[in-house]
Amino acid sequence: MAQDEITERISAFIRDRFLDGDPQGELEETTPLLELGVLNSLNTVLLLAHIREELGVAVPSLRINPSDLKNVRSITAMVRELQHSAV
Amino acid sequence: MDFDLSAAQKKRYAEILRESGTRLGEHRPDGDPDAVRRGFRTAAGIGVTGLCLPEEFGGGGLGALDTALGLEAFGRGCPDTGLAFGVAAHLLACAVPVRDFATDDVRGPLLKGLASGELIAANAMTEDEAGSDIGRLGVTARPVSDGYLLNGEKSWASNAPVAGLVVTYACTAPELGFLGLSAFAVPGDLPGVSFGPPLRKMGLTNCLAGRVTFTDCHVPRRYLLGAEGQGSGIFQHSMAWERAALFGVYLGLMERQLAQCVEHAGRRRQFGRRIGEFQAVSHRMAVMKQRLESGRLLLYRACWLLDEGREDKSAIALAKATVSEAAVANGLDAMQLFGGLGYLADSGVEEQLRDSLPARVFSGTTEIQREIVAKELGL
Repeated sequence: MAQDEITERISAFIRDRFLDGDPQGELEETTPLLELGVLNSLNTVLLLAHIREELGVAVPSLRINPSDLKNVRSITAMVRELQHSAV
Repeated sequence: MDFDLSAAQKKRYAEILRESGTRLGEHRPDGDPDAVRRGFRTAAGIGVTGLCLPEEFGGGGLGALDTALGLEAFGRGCPDTGLAFGVAAHLLACAVPVRDFATDDVRGPLLKGLASGELIAANAMTEDEAGSDIGRLGVTARPVSDGYLLNGEKSWASNAPVAGLVVTYACTAPELGFLGLSAFAVPGDLPGVSFGPPLRKMGLTNCLAGRVTFTDCHVPRRYLLGAEGQGSGIFQHSMAWERAALFGVYLGLMERQLAQCVEHAGRRRQFGRRIGEFQAVSHRMAVMKQRLESGRLLLYRACWLLDEGREDKSAIALAKATVSEAAVANGLDAMQLFGGLGYLADSGVEEQLRDSLPARVFSGTTEIQREIVAKELGL
């Protein structure tokens, strides 16, 4: 799956589920999700379940760290890396 | 699919059950710290304090399923559920993260002490303002030369009043929310660590719990677990082990309790017959059995998945919620079956209920387990 598509699907999920649809269009690839509290421990379970079901990537719990979950860009990079390592 | 235990598993289970019954079967919990320390040493003699720790450090070298089976046998043979719980929390919430994340400098000596029961560990996460939500920890760890300076107070740590080691979590980067945590294995004798008196509580008498306060406590870098910022992941890892395997203790309790109920219903006579012949009594016990076996299957499977390296949060949450709810429901049923006798402290029946009630709260409440299951369903 292309990087742009992964980014778009993750962004769409975050907008829809955690940002009330993001009516102002504020979410960007570098929006700090942890700092703003968009991702908390329960939301993260939901996001990772979505990534597993929709993108087919299981994220091990030790990847639940600040550098991998910092923003949409880092999450996309992690998903890409895990996709490649699974092949 | 094979539901049978192997010959080795059956043998280990039988040995732990026999030894715990022989050495601790008459154990009456009174909350005496020295008795608790002796209990840990006895548990170590039976091999329970180090079930899943490496053999080279005196542990049993077992996986999650075999650890849960060992704890089940221990919880069944030892009616002092507070001690069994304390030992299991020491092993799963504390020794497991030391096993998997401690630096080479401290890992061996700590594991040796933990496996031998000489070094008792307390898991200190909970704070007055941080229970289910660990996103806003008040305890902080500020990087200083060769380590960290810890400040703040943990409001509840099982084993703390007898602990020589505190596995704790502190905020190292508040801007990173729930992922701004780091994990530490803090020796209890470091300057700046202080322990409150044992908290008075409803049950689990011999699992002494207390507050832990850090005041400008300098923790050398070698006691950091994993990397800075990895605390949340380490905590989730330790909770996966605890939620899956610790509740083996409660399977053991329910086994023992059900056997007592069957024995009582077969012996006690009212209206000219054994009370077990009344369906109101026998069906109640059938439901107790049903709850026990449902919890057992979920728990064994959750542990098996953990051993397979398949992290299944939902399976673990289902097992934890099911076994703890079963323990409380069965505890209430046992009280009713024993009638007035069960209300007397010497029967041990009311104690089983008091020891079971906290199971729905610690290691993540039933409500949080259901949240996890719901999130895993995509809700």
